[in-house]
Amino acid sequence: MLTEKEKQRYDRQIMIYGFGEAGQEKLKKAKVFIAGAGGLGSPVATYLAAAGIGTLRIADHDTVELSNLNRQVLHWEENIGNEKAASAAEKLRKLNPEITIETIPETITEANASRLVGDADLIVDAMDNLPTRYLLNKTAIEKGIPFFHGAVYGFEGRAMTVIPGKTACLNCLYHGAEVPREKFPVIGVTPAVIGCIQATEVIKYITGMGELLTGRLLNYDALRMQFSEFKVNRDPECEHCGKQGR
Amino acid sequence: MSVNVELSSFFGRYTDNHLHIKVEGSTTGECLDDLIRQFPKLKRLLFDKYGNFHHGYDLFVNGESVYPMGLKKPVKDGDKMNVVFIIQGG
Repeated sequence: MLTEKEKQRYDRQIMIYGFGEAGQEKLKKAKVFIAGAGGLGSPVATYLAAAGIGTLRIADHDTVELSNLNRQVLHWEENIGNEKAASAAEKLRKLNPEITIETIPETITEANASRLVGDADLIVDAMDNLPTRYLLNKTAIEKGIPFFHGAVYGFEGRAMTVIPGKTACLNCLYHGAEVPREKFPVIGVTPAVIGCIQATEVIKYITGMGELLTGRLLNYDALRMQFSEFKVNRDPECEHCGKQGR
Repeated sequence: MSVNVELSSFFGRYTDNHLHIKVEGSTTGECLDDLIRQFPKLKRLLFDKYGNFHHGYDLFVNGESVYPMGLKKPVKDGDKMNVVFIIQGG
């Protein structure tokens, strides 16, 4: 049940056709695992907190650096040197004290991924490297929970939603390809757009509204201000979700 | 076959900012060869030192991945081919 304060707080979204108090209650009951509290994690966590997701579990092993502040908008100059997960939680609790924020200042590894995700209803991929993205994709498939992928470079971004057992996964898309992990260029508005798309997908999934970004990779080219899509088919031989993987 | 290659802004530095390029070829590999003939700077970007298509890039024809045929996928006159680089930043 929503409290009177919650009804007032979320009034404008409850008004949306098909959303209603039932949709808000679904958000309130949801537990979301956000992997990364950086450029993508900041807008994802901010808009999911504002929307009233009941529990946000935020994992990030990093500490805030000055060079993060052009894009990681949950962290401010006064937070330099602090853990990103705690820095993010501090702001999110001020934004919405009605929800629960859990912080995990740990590196996500093959050994702990399943435990860290725990009983979350879904995983948001706000990481900065492909190996951990693959690991989380695999973890989502093993747990049978959705995976919301996002990535950025410069003025470009990508997003895709994965529903295990039904739609193509990240490994179906990239087939295990690895690219060198290196410092990448980015301006804050790019992860802001992609992170908001990921948060939108999460809200749509939880409330059961609309059509998800599944089976297609969304490609955002800000310099041309163009969105394009590429079809992504399930790979029967996929090592994560195909017959070999499960 | 005449194929329309579409590149994202990222590639502009290698193609003098040409992002829509007409190429000739009957397979994706031949189309890439013609693309590189027109813009030689792309060769080191798209192929490794052994001449293999770099793992960090993907090809789509008419919006669909060329996997598993890769550079051997046949193309038709008027097809659209996208070269996409894999990004991992967050």
